[in-house]
Amino acid sequence: MMAKIKSGRAFWLASAAAGLIGLAVIAPVEDVTAKSTAAPSVAAAPPGFRRLNEAQYIRSVEQIFGPAIKVPGRFDPPLREQGLLAIGDATVTVSASGIEQYELRAREIAAQAMAGGKVSVPCSPAAGAFDAACAGQVLGRFGRLLYRRPLANTELSAVVAIAANAADVNHSFAKGLEAGLSRLLMSPNFIFRVERSVADPRAPGGYRLEDHALASRISFLLWDSSPDEAMLDAAARGDLRVPAKLQRQVDRMLASPRYEQGVRSFFFDMFGYEQFRGLAKDQAIYPKFNSELARDAQEQTLRTIVDLLVTNRGDYRDLFSTRKTFINRGLGALYKVPVSAAGVDGWAPYTFPVDQPRGGILSLAGFLMLDPTHEGRSSPTIRGKTVRELLLCQPVPQPPPNVNFALVQDVTNPLYKTARQRLTVHQENPACAGCHALTDPIGLSLENYDAVGNFRTHENDAKIDATGTFEGKPYTGLTGLSQRLRESPEVPACVVQRAFEYGVGRPAAGGDADWLEFAVGQFASDRFRFSALMRRIATSPALAAAAPPGPVTTALSYDKHRRNR
Amino acid sequence: MSHWTRRNLLRGMMRGSAVVVGLPLLDLFLDGNGEALASGAPIPTRFGTWFWGCGVNTARWFPSQLGKGYDIKPELAPIAPYRDKVSVFSNFNCILDGKPNLVHWSGVMATLTGAAPLKGGVAGGTSEQPTIDCLVSDHIGAGTRFRSLELACTGQTGVSYSMRAGSTVNPSEVDPVQLYRRLFGAEFQDPNKAEFKPDPAVMLRQSVLSSVKDDRDELLRSLGSADRQRVDQYFTSVRQVEQQLGHLLEKPAPAEACVVGREPGKAELGPTWDVAMRTHDLLGQLAVMALSCNQTRVFNMALSIAGSNLRKAGDPVAFHELTHEEPIDEKLGYQPKSTFFIERSMETFGSMLKMMDGVKEGAGTLLDNSLILATSESNFAKIHSVDNLPIMVAGSAGGKWKAGQHISGNGDPSSRVGLTIQQVLGMPVTSWGDGAMRTTKPISEVMA
Repeated sequence: MMAKIKSGRAFWLASAAAGLIGLAVIAPVEDVTAKSTAAPSVAAAPPGFRRLNEAQYIRSVEQIFGPAIKVPGRFDPPLREQGLLAIGDATVTVSASGIEQYELRAREIAAQAMAGGKVSVPCSPAAGAFDAACAGQVLGRFGRLLYRRPLANTELSAVVAIAANAADVNHSFAKGLEAGLSRLLMSPNFIFRVERSVADPRAPGGYRLEDHALASRISFLLWDSSPDEAMLDAAARGDLRVPAKLQRQVDRMLASPRYEQGVRSFFFDMFGYEQFRGLAKDQAIYPKFNSELARDAQEQTLRTIVDLLVTNRGDYRDLFSTRKTFINRGLGALYKVPVSAAGVDGWAPYTFPVDQPRGGILSLAGFLMLDPTHEGRSSPTIRGKTVRELLLCQPVPQPPPNVNFALVQDVTNPLYKTARQRLTVHQENPACAGCHALTDPIGLSLENYDAVGNFRTHENDAKIDATGTFEGKPYTGLTGLSQRLRESPEVPACVVQRAFEYGVGRPAAGGDADWLEFAVGQFASDRFRFSALMRRIATSPALAAAAPPGPVTTALSYDKHRRNR
Repeated sequence: MSHWTRRNLLRGMMRGSAVVVGLPLLDLFLDGNGEALASGAPIPTRFGTWFWGCGVNTARWFPSQLGKGYDIKPELAPIAPYRDKVSVFSNFNCILDGKPNLVHWSGVMATLTGAAPLKGGVAGGTSEQPTIDCLVSDHIGAGTRFRSLELACTGQTGVSYSMRAGSTVNPSEVDPVQLYRRLFGAEFQDPNKAEFKPDPAVMLRQSVLSSVKDDRDELLRSLGSADRQRVDQYFTSVRQVEQQLGHLLEKPAPAEACVVGREPGKAELGPTWDVAMRTHDLLGQLAVMALSCNQTRVFNMALSIAGSNLRKAGDPVAFHELTHEEPIDEKLGYQPKSTFFIERSMETFGSMLKMMDGVKEGAGTLLDNSLILATSESNFAKIHSVDNLPIMVAGSAGGKWKAGQHISGNGDPSSRVGLTIQQVLGMPVTSWGDGAMRTTKPISEVMA
């Protein structure tokens, strides 16, 4: 992999020069198509069927019907698969009780949309009359936004029929449209991102993603929401198959304020932030913790990410070293640092002084407290596992089932004072040692921070030993680990892999390895600017690749492939 | 006991006190034998699952004597008052036969689906086959408003051991207030109210759902084969809700035991022990009300996730971690802190039995007219053992199940319990399960 990164230096110079002018910081001006002909292909998969997550559903509804719409009801729980919720979304369906909730939601959203005048109706039929053409116009327009593609004639006439029936029963045209909207909102074509593949005339025998499906992939990748009318229009015109026009759409979306939400959503997924929901810590042990502090911790890291990667178009790797962040009253108390007047009422920019033990996202509470399995103490194993799996894309195997702990536990002296002492037993047992050697040295070096993120030098009156080794190199403490991660080639390779997987909604497979290595090289040539990566993926043939519908083959997983090389 | 008094009693209960109230079916509605309603319809049989995490201590849980009148070991003490209504099964195993032992997952899925799963672990996983409650609710649940109710006591909706094949769980209700509103909110029709008028708005809603099904064929054409199954599950769910609405359009049959209490007050949810127990009892009371009001025939209660996060307030270590980290006390012969949670789990199951046994129906109780399959994912959680899984079945299915025995499976697959339940409930199955878990041998000793 390193060889590929180095060979990418040739165009690093070109894009670095281009980077001096305006938007081109994100968008190297040279023709992407020329380069993409050189890009390896990916393992094309059949078109996807991905359930909208709660935030995507709400955001799409607000985008289509206006921000004042209230979306009620409970959503089926998300599922994390192979490192991402975005992959889990492609494996789940909807339970019966979930449908019950969608049905309730559809009715309430439709009622609010009609009552609030959010749906402009270009006709006013007499009481008791039903204007089918007018209903078709209204429902066709909203149907296209909700389904993210135009409705087929048969689809639209079925929806109009529902509206006609409801208008008749209620003696109200508006009630008819309301039922029609409700019908659209209940469709799997809205609740799921339904993709289609079509034959690609430019590659005989080959397939590609249908234009509207590609528009959705790009839109959810960059905005984490449905495509807007401009994007749907571009798809309808075939613009997304013309590289220059595709780039224009992508650049428009990157320049939109919605892009910030897209970046937040991506890192929310990559960093496992669904675990913040319902996160609890023991009140007696951690009196500073409450659900508000947990919310603030999540928000702080997301603000730090947006500031570095979007506002300042910075280097992804600097997330592990930057002392620049944002702070408010609750976090000031946790970090024991003074908070400016602005931070007392809200969020204020803040730079940790060099004498503070904080720097990089690992040192923030958003990482340190995010462990829903331990409410009363920190777990070096979980922290080490999180670093391996979420930041380095290195899956840690599950513990073996039939370990006899009795062999390794010192029954006469169960009260080890520090986590390092407690976890020594793992290293002494060959059945455990292999995996715990992957996780524990990382986690133990973070033990100067307790389970909510307080800094400490001692645990149970014993001094904490925060030395560690990463990929064979020794270091001390969180700052040392962060520096090792900042330098590790696995860190940018992992974010490239995750962004690709997030975009296509499936785990990277062996057939994607060449493309991923190529993309990592480009990322390096773009000086690891995250927005450049998103732009490259959004405009890449890799995102548009698709196989015909049909039997799914089990591909060799990318991770396995990578290890075997 | 007058109607009015019972209502008041129940209202008192829903304010938070743990009084268990009997809600007898008036004899007026029963025929001379006390086993059928005067209309000729038999008293329905109900089915439930009750799950607790992290297993048991074999020597302190399983009885030594087989058959009826078995001896009660310390950890089973809370079910002693119901011993004659509870069957205990020992030496029924999850037979892996080369499949991996997915920790805190394989054992429970083997018993509930008849198939050892291929993917999963302490955070859940996928299932090769539907869980037994889905099969049973397809058989006995179609006539009620809800095919089944899923309930979990630690505040996490994803904690559920009810799923069709795949990776989508039937999510749990975790908040008694929300559950109350779903069951007894505006859509609830009191089965004992004289007047009934179908609501045209419900008919419209039904027609919307019916029309959604038109989307199916086009979807199946455009997607890959793995996704087709998910599309079908989506439409199965749509159909279920459509039928649910259909029940709102029919005059409900009278159910004299049906009394609806007030909405419970808002309360904290979470995995600390006392909170979870209180949540269990509130959810359990609502489930009992739903069963006696004919809103459902099937429920699933999960006390916690299998890798249990139940915890004593102020204690840094939760149940699951304790099972692995706590040494066995040499004098006691078990892990005292972990065992605290095993004993409380059994007390909580005892509480569920008490609530169900408190509702009089015909000659017996709601419990007598039910089968409740209670199980955990491991035998001894410390080493994730899936041999000799702790399994109980409470109730007697209205006399079709010979209750109150301790039966040894001699190492047979635990799917035999599920097959027996299905046959006793009148389902036309002669074999159940996959691979080494497949069985054609019901447990004849319990079949009446």
